[in-house]
Amino acid sequence: MTRDVHQQAREWIALTGVDGQGLSDAQQSQLHAHLRECELCRQYADATGHLIRSLRSVPMAAQPALVRRTQARVRQHAQLLRQHRERLWMVGIACAGIGFSATVTIPIMWRIFAWLGAWAGVSGPVWETGFGVFVIAPALLVSVLLLLRGTHLTDDAGRWHH
Amino acid sequence: MNAAALYFVNGMESETSAIARGLRRRDPDLLDRLIEQYQHRLLRYLTYLTGHRELAEDLFQETWIRVLERGHQYDGKHEFSTWLFSVARHLCIDSMRKKNPVSLDGLLDDSNDARAPLDPVDIRPTALEIIAQHEHAERINAALTCIAAEYREAVVLRFQEGLTLDEIASVTGAPLGTIKSRLYRGLNLLMPLLKGAQA
Repeated sequence: MTRDVHQQAREWIALTGVDGQGLSDAQQSQLHAHLRECELCRQYADATGHLIRSLRSVPMAAQPALVRRTQARVRQHAQLLRQHRERLWMVGIACAGIGFSATVTIPIMWRIFAWLGAWAGVSGPVWETGFGVFVIAPALLVSVLLLLRGTHLTDDAGRWHH
Repeated sequence: MNAAALYFVNGMESETSAIARGLRRRDPDLLDRLIEQYQHRLLRYLTYLTGHRELAEDLFQETWIRVLERGHQYDGKHEFSTWLFSVARHLCIDSMRKKNPVSLDGLLDDSNDARAPLDPVDIRPTALEIIAQHEHAERINAALTCIAAEYREAVVLRFQEGLTLDEIASVTGAPLGTIKSRLYRGLNLLMPLLKGAQA
Protein backbone atom coordinates (compact mmCIF):
# COMPACT_ATOMS: atom_id res chain seq x y z
CA MET A 1 0.00 0.00 0.00
CA THR A 2 1.31 3.43 -0.85
CA ARG A 3 0.86 6.47 1.34
CA ASP A 4 -1.63 7.91 -1.18
CA VAL A 5 -3.94 4.94 -0.73
CA HIS A 6 -3.94 5.40 3.05
CA GLN A 7 -4.57 9.10 2.71
CA GLN A 8 -7.37 8.50 0.21
CA ALA A 9 -9.00 6.02 2.57
CA ARG A 10 -8.75 8.46 5.50
CA GLU A 11 -10.23 11.27 3.45
CA TRP A 12 -13.17 9.07 2.51
CA ILE A 13 -13.64 8.13 6.15
CA ALA A 14 -13.52 11.76 7.24
CA LEU A 15 -15.91 12.96 4.56
CA THR A 16 -18.49 10.23 4.86
CA GLY A 17 -18.40 9.66 8.60
CA VAL A 18 -17.12 6.08 8.44
CA ASP A 19 -20.35 4.56 7.14
CA GLY A 20 -19.28 5.28 3.58
CA GLN A 21 -22.53 6.95 2.61
CA GLY A 22 -21.97 9.29 -0.29
CA LEU A 23 -19.27 7.10 -1.80
CA SER A 24 -19.87 5.13 -4.96
CA ASP A 25 -20.18 1.34 -4.70
CA ALA A 26 -16.69 0.93 -6.13
CA GLN A 27 -15.24 3.40 -3.63
CA GLN A 28 -17.03 1.68 -0.74
CA SER A 29 -15.67 -1.70 -1.81
CA GLN A 30 -12.19 -0.23 -2.13
CA LEU A 31 -12.46 1.38 1.30
CA HIS A 32 -13.73 -1.77 2.99
CA ALA A 33 -11.07 -3.88 1.35
CA HIS A 34 -8.39 -1.46 2.49
CA LEU A 35 -9.74 -1.37 6.05
CA ARG A 36 -9.60 -5.18 6.20
CA GLU A 37 -5.92 -5.06 5.33
CA CYS A 38 -4.68 -1.92 7.08
CA GLU A 39 -4.63 -1.87 10.87
CA LEU A 40 -3.64 1.82 11.10
CA CYS A 41 -6.48 2.99 8.86
CA ARG A 42 -8.89 0.76 10.80
CA GLN A 43 -7.78 2.51 14.00
CA TYR A 44 -8.25 5.83 12.25
CA ALA A 45 -11.77 4.80 11.23
CA ASP A 46 -12.59 3.76 14.81
CA ALA A 47 -11.20 7.02 16.19
CA THR A 48 -13.16 9.02 13.63
CA GLY A 49 -16.31 7.09 14.50
CA HIS A 50 -15.82 7.86 18.21
CA LEU A 51 -15.14 11.50 17.44
CA ILE A 52 -18.24 11.90 15.28
CA ARG A 53 -20.43 10.17 17.87
CA SER A 54 -18.98 12.50 20.51
CA LEU A 55 -19.76 15.55 18.40
CA ARG A 56 -23.30 14.37 17.83
CA SER A 57 -23.83 13.66 21.52
CA VAL A 58 -23.41 17.26 22.65
CA PRO A 59 -26.81 18.69 23.49
CA MET A 60 -27.25 22.42 23.07
CA ALA A 61 -30.68 23.94 23.32
CA ALA A 62 -31.98 27.44 22.98
CA GLN A 63 -33.55 28.77 26.15
CA PRO A 64 -37.36 29.07 25.90
CA ALA A 65 -37.05 32.73 26.92
CA LEU A 66 -34.78 33.42 23.95
CA VAL A 67 -37.23 31.76 21.60
CA ARG A 68 -40.16 33.72 23.02
CA ARG A 69 -38.19 36.97 22.88
CA THR A 70 -37.22 36.31 19.28
CA GLN A 71 -40.78 35.46 18.28
CA ALA A 72 -42.08 38.65 19.91
CA ARG A 73 -39.39 40.74 18.23
CA VAL A 74 -40.07 39.21 14.84
CA ARG A 75 -43.83 39.83 15.19
CA GLN A 76 -43.21 43.43 16.24
CA HIS A 77 -40.83 43.97 13.35
CA ALA A 78 -43.32 42.40 10.93
CA GLN A 79 -45.94 44.85 12.14
CA LEU A 80 -43.56 47.78 11.62
CA LEU A 81 -42.78 46.57 8.12
CA ARG A 82 -46.50 46.25 7.39
CA GLN A 83 -47.15 49.78 8.69
CA HIS A 84 -44.26 51.10 6.63
CA ARG A 85 -45.65 49.43 3.51
CA GLU A 86 -49.14 50.76 4.22
CA ARG A 87 -47.72 54.25 4.68
CA LEU A 88 -45.92 54.01 1.37
CA TRP A 89 -49.21 52.98 -0.26
CA MET A 90 -50.93 55.98 1.30
CA VAL A 91 -48.20 58.31 0.05
CA GLY A 92 -48.47 56.78 -3.43
CA ILE A 93 -52.26 57.11 -3.47
CA ALA A 94 -52.02 60.71 -2.21
CA CYS A 95 -49.48 61.56 -4.92
CA ALA A 96 -51.71 60.05 -7.60
CA GLY A 97 -54.73 61.95 -6.27
CA ILE A 98 -52.82 65.24 -6.17
CA GLY A 99 -51.53 64.70 -9.69
CA PHE A 100 -55.01 63.92 -10.98
CA SER A 101 -56.64 66.89 -9.27
CA ALA A 102 -53.86 69.23 -10.45
CA THR A 103 -54.31 68.05 -14.03
CA VAL A 104 -58.04 68.73 -13.80
CA THR A 105 -58.02 71.99 -11.83
CA ILE A 106 -55.01 73.87 -13.25
CA PRO A 107 -56.61 74.61 -16.66
CA ILE A 108 -59.81 75.72 -14.92
CA MET A 109 -57.88 77.95 -12.47
CA TRP A 110 -55.89 79.37 -15.37
CA ARG A 111 -59.12 80.47 -17.08
CA ILE A 112 -60.46 81.90 -13.81
CA PHE A 113 -57.25 83.92 -13.26
CA ALA A 114 -57.39 85.16 -16.88
CA TRP A 115 -61.00 86.24 -16.38
CA LEU A 116 -60.17 87.93 -13.07
CA GLY A 117 -57.20 89.70 -14.70
CA ALA A 118 -59.38 91.01 -17.51
CA TRP A 119 -62.12 92.00 -15.05
CA ALA A 120 -59.61 93.87 -12.82
CA GLY A 121 -57.88 95.38 -15.85
CA VAL A 122 -54.37 94.13 -14.93
CA SER A 123 -51.76 93.16 -17.47
CA GLY A 124 -51.07 89.55 -18.47
CA PRO A 125 -47.74 89.12 -16.57
CA VAL A 126 -49.39 90.32 -13.34
CA TRP A 127 -52.24 87.82 -13.22
CA GLU A 128 -49.94 85.08 -14.58
CA THR A 129 -47.52 85.75 -11.67
CA GLY A 130 -50.46 85.67 -9.29
CA PHE A 131 -51.49 82.32 -10.74
CA GLY A 132 -47.94 80.98 -10.35
CA VAL A 133 -47.83 82.00 -6.67
CA PHE A 134 -51.30 80.48 -6.11
CA VAL A 135 -50.18 77.15 -7.58
CA ILE A 136 -46.74 76.97 -5.95
CA ALA A 137 -47.58 78.45 -2.53
CA PRO A 138 -49.14 75.28 -0.97
CA ALA A 139 -46.19 73.12 -2.04
CA LEU A 140 -43.72 75.69 -0.65
CA LEU A 141 -45.65 75.91 2.61
CA VAL A 142 -45.69 72.09 3.05
CA SER A 143 -41.96 71.88 2.25
CA VAL A 144 -41.10 74.51 4.85
CA LEU A 145 -43.27 72.75 7.45
CA LEU A 146 -41.63 69.40 6.76
CA LEU A 147 -38.16 70.93 7.00
CA LEU A 148 -39.05 72.58 10.28
CA ARG A 149 -40.34 69.30 11.62
CA GLY A 150 -37.02 67.67 10.73
CA THR A 151 -38.06 65.30 7.97
CA HIS A 152 -40.48 62.98 9.71
CA LEU A 153 -39.73 60.18 7.22
CA THR A 154 -36.12 60.01 8.43
CA ASP A 155 -37.33 59.78 12.02
CA ASP A 156 -39.61 56.92 11.10
CA ALA A 157 -36.83 55.14 9.22
CA GLY A 158 -34.52 55.54 12.20
CA ARG A 159 -37.07 54.10 14.59
CA TRP A 160 -37.77 51.35 12.08
CA HIS A 161 -34.13 50.26 11.99
CA HIS A 162 -33.80 50.24 15.76
CA MET B 1 -35.90 6.99 -8.66
CA ASN B 2 -38.45 4.74 -7.01
CA ALA B 3 -41.96 5.79 -5.97
CA ALA B 4 -41.10 6.21 -2.29
CA ALA B 5 -38.11 8.43 -3.05
CA LEU B 6 -40.18 10.46 -5.52
CA TYR B 7 -42.90 10.89 -2.90
CA PHE B 8 -40.31 12.01 -0.36
CA VAL B 9 -38.73 14.52 -2.77
CA ASN B 10 -42.13 15.89 -3.81
CA GLY B 11 -43.15 16.18 -0.17
CA MET B 12 -39.97 18.06 0.66
CA GLU B 13 -40.44 20.38 -2.32
CA SER B 14 -44.01 21.16 -1.36
CA GLU B 15 -42.89 21.94 2.19
CA THR B 16 -40.08 24.25 1.07
CA SER B 17 -42.45 25.89 -1.45
CA ALA B 18 -44.97 26.48 1.34
CA ILE B 19 -42.20 28.04 3.45
CA ALA B 20 -41.17 30.26 0.51
CA ARG B 21 -44.77 31.40 -0.02
CA GLY B 22 -45.21 32.11 3.69
CA LEU B 23 -41.96 34.08 3.84
CA ARG B 24 -43.03 36.19 0.87
CA ARG B 25 -46.24 37.00 2.78
CA ARG B 26 -44.21 37.57 5.98
CA ASP B 27 -46.59 35.21 7.72
CA PRO B 28 -45.91 35.62 11.48
CA ASP B 29 -47.37 32.21 12.35
CA LEU B 30 -45.04 30.50 9.91
CA LEU B 31 -42.09 32.41 11.35
CA ASP B 32 -43.07 31.39 14.88
CA ARG B 33 -43.14 27.78 13.76
CA LEU B 34 -39.79 28.05 11.96
CA ILE B 35 -38.15 29.70 14.97
CA GLU B 36 -39.30 26.83 17.16
CA GLN B 37 -38.36 24.19 14.62
CA TYR B 38 -34.83 25.46 13.95
CA GLN B 39 -34.04 27.00 17.35
CA HIS B 40 -31.52 24.41 18.54
CA ARG B 41 -29.78 23.87 15.24
CA LEU B 42 -29.38 27.58 14.52
CA LEU B 43 -28.20 28.47 18.00
CA ARG B 44 -25.73 25.60 18.04
CA TYR B 45 -24.34 26.63 14.66
CA LEU B 46 -24.01 30.28 15.71
CA THR B 47 -22.49 29.34 19.05
CA TYR B 48 -19.79 27.24 17.46
CA LEU B 49 -19.22 29.78 14.71
CA THR B 50 -18.72 32.69 17.09
CA GLY B 51 -17.38 30.82 20.10
CA HIS B 52 -19.55 33.04 22.32
CA ARG B 53 -22.95 32.07 23.60
CA GLU B 54 -24.15 35.65 24.22
CA LEU B 55 -23.10 36.86 20.79
CA ALA B 56 -24.72 33.78 19.30
CA GLU B 57 -28.01 34.62 21.04
CA ASP B 58 -27.91 38.18 19.68
CA LEU B 59 -27.20 36.87 16.20
CA PHE B 60 -29.96 34.28 16.62
CA GLN B 61 -32.50 37.11 16.94
CA GLU B 62 -30.92 39.14 14.16
CA THR B 63 -31.00 36.14 11.86
CA TRP B 64 -34.77 35.79 12.21
CA ILE B 65 -35.26 39.52 11.67
CA ARG B 66 -33.21 39.16 8.48
CA VAL B 67 -35.27 36.13 7.47
CA LEU B 68 -38.39 38.25 7.90
CA GLU B 69 -36.98 41.12 5.84
CA ARG B 70 -35.42 39.04 3.07
CA GLY B 71 -37.68 36.03 3.07
CA HIS B 72 -38.70 36.78 -0.50
CA GLN B 73 -35.16 35.81 -1.55
CA TYR B 74 -35.69 32.18 -0.50
CA ASP B 75 -36.66 30.31 -3.65
CA GLY B 76 -38.15 27.21 -2.04
CA LYS B 77 -36.11 24.90 -4.28
CA HIS B 78 -33.48 24.10 -1.68
CA GLU B 79 -33.61 23.07 1.95
CA PHE B 80 -34.71 25.95 4.17
CA SER B 81 -32.00 25.09 6.71
CA THR B 82 -29.29 25.64 4.10
CA TRP B 83 -30.61 29.13 3.33
CA LEU B 84 -31.08 29.87 7.04
CA PHE B 85 -27.49 28.92 7.89
CA SER B 86 -26.30 31.03 4.98
CA VAL B 87 -28.20 34.07 6.30
CA ALA B 88 -26.83 33.45 9.80
CA ARG B 89 -23.30 33.08 8.49
CA HIS B 90 -23.42 36.40 6.64
CA LEU B 91 -24.74 38.15 9.74
CA CYS B 92 -22.02 36.56 11.82
CA ILE B 93 -19.29 37.72 9.46
CA ASP B 94 -20.76 41.25 9.37
CA SER B 95 -20.93 41.34 13.15
CA MET B 96 -17.37 40.13 13.60
CA ARG B 97 -16.04 42.55 11.00
CA LYS B 98 -17.65 45.41 12.89
CA LYS B 99 -16.04 44.30 16.12
CA ASN B 100 -12.73 43.25 14.67
CA PRO B 101 -11.88 44.03 11.05
CA VAL B 102 -10.40 40.66 10.19
CA SER B 103 -11.86 37.79 8.25
CA LEU B 104 -13.82 35.02 9.92
CA ASP B 105 -10.96 32.65 9.14
CA GLY B 106 -8.59 34.53 11.40
CA LEU B 107 -10.92 35.22 14.27
CA LEU B 108 -9.85 32.46 16.56
CA ASP B 109 -6.16 32.92 15.97
CA ASP B 110 -6.17 35.59 18.66
CA SER B 111 -4.95 33.66 21.68
CA ASN B 112 -5.41 36.67 23.97
CA ASP B 113 -9.12 36.62 23.43
CA ALA B 114 -10.63 34.98 26.48
CA ARG B 115 -13.37 32.81 25.11
CA ALA B 116 -16.41 32.32 27.21
CA PRO B 117 -17.16 28.65 27.57
CA LEU B 118 -20.05 27.46 25.47
CA ASP B 119 -23.06 26.73 27.52
CA PRO B 120 -24.65 23.44 26.62
CA VAL B 121 -28.11 22.81 27.96
CA ASP B 122 -28.42 19.26 29.11
CA ILE B 123 -31.47 17.15 29.76
CA ARG B 124 -30.44 14.18 31.91
CA PRO B 125 -32.14 12.08 34.49
CA THR B 126 -29.52 11.69 37.25
CA ALA B 127 -27.00 13.97 38.93
CA LEU B 128 -24.09 11.68 38.09
CA GLU B 129 -25.04 11.58 34.46
CA ILE B 130 -25.45 15.33 34.47
CA ILE B 131 -21.89 15.80 35.72
CA ALA B 132 -20.45 13.24 33.33
CA GLN B 133 -22.24 14.59 30.28
CA HIS B 134 -21.54 18.17 31.22
CA GLU B 135 -17.84 17.41 31.45
CA HIS B 136 -18.02 15.55 28.18
CA ALA B 137 -19.81 18.44 26.46
CA GLU B 138 -17.39 20.98 27.90
CA ARG B 139 -14.47 18.97 26.66
CA ILE B 140 -15.88 18.80 23.15
CA ASN B 141 -16.80 22.47 23.16
CA ALA B 142 -13.32 23.41 24.38
CA ALA B 143 -11.77 21.29 21.65
CA LEU B 144 -13.98 22.85 19.00
CA THR B 145 -13.03 26.35 20.06
CA CYS B 146 -9.36 25.42 19.73
CA ILE B 147 -9.54 24.79 15.99
CA ALA B 148 -9.82 27.49 13.35
CA ALA B 149 -13.31 28.83 12.67
CA GLU B 150 -13.52 27.57 9.09
CA TYR B 151 -12.67 24.00 10.16
CA ARG B 152 -15.07 24.17 13.09
CA GLU B 153 -17.84 25.43 10.86
CA ALA B 154 -17.38 22.59 8.38
CA VAL B 155 -17.27 19.95 11.13
CA VAL B 156 -20.34 21.35 12.90
CA LEU B 157 -22.39 21.64 9.71
CA ARG B 158 -21.44 18.13 8.59
CA PHE B 159 -21.57 16.09 11.75
CA GLN B 160 -23.86 18.05 14.05
CA GLU B 161 -26.31 19.56 11.61
CA GLY B 162 -26.13 16.70 9.15
CA LEU B 163 -25.72 18.81 6.02
CA THR B 164 -24.35 17.25 2.86
CA LEU B 165 -21.06 18.45 1.41
CA ASP B 166 -22.94 20.29 -1.36
CA GLU B 167 -25.15 22.02 1.18
CA ILE B 168 -22.12 23.08 3.22
CA ALA B 169 -20.54 24.49 0.06
CA SER B 170 -23.78 26.38 -0.59
CA VAL B 171 -23.92 27.80 2.94
CA THR B 172 -20.28 28.88 3.05
CA GLY B 173 -19.89 29.81 -0.60
CA ALA B 174 -16.66 27.82 -0.71
CA PRO B 175 -15.79 25.27 -3.43
CA LEU B 176 -16.56 21.62 -2.71
CA GLY B 177 -12.86 20.72 -2.68
CA THR B 178 -12.20 23.34 -0.02
CA ILE B 179 -15.03 21.98 2.12
CA LYS B 180 -13.64 18.46 1.86
CA SER B 181 -10.22 19.72 2.83
CA ARG B 182 -11.61 21.68 5.80
CA LEU B 183 -13.54 18.66 7.06
CA TYR B 184 -10.56 16.36 6.78
CA ARG B 185 -8.22 18.80 8.48
CA GLY B 186 -10.82 19.76 11.07
CA LEU B 187 -11.35 16.14 12.13
CA ASN B 188 -7.62 15.50 12.21
CA LEU B 189 -7.10 18.55 14.40
CA LEU B 190 -9.90 17.52 16.74
CA MET B 191 -8.79 13.92 17.08
CA PRO B 192 -5.77 14.49 19.34
CA LEU B 193 -7.71 17.07 21.34
CA LEU B 194 -10.53 14.62 22.02
CA LYS B 195 -8.52 11.46 22.36
CA GLY B 196 -10.39 9.15 24.68
CA ALA B 197 -13.66 11.07 24.57
CA GLN B 198 -16.54 8.64 24.46
CA ALA B 199 -19.96 9.37 23.09
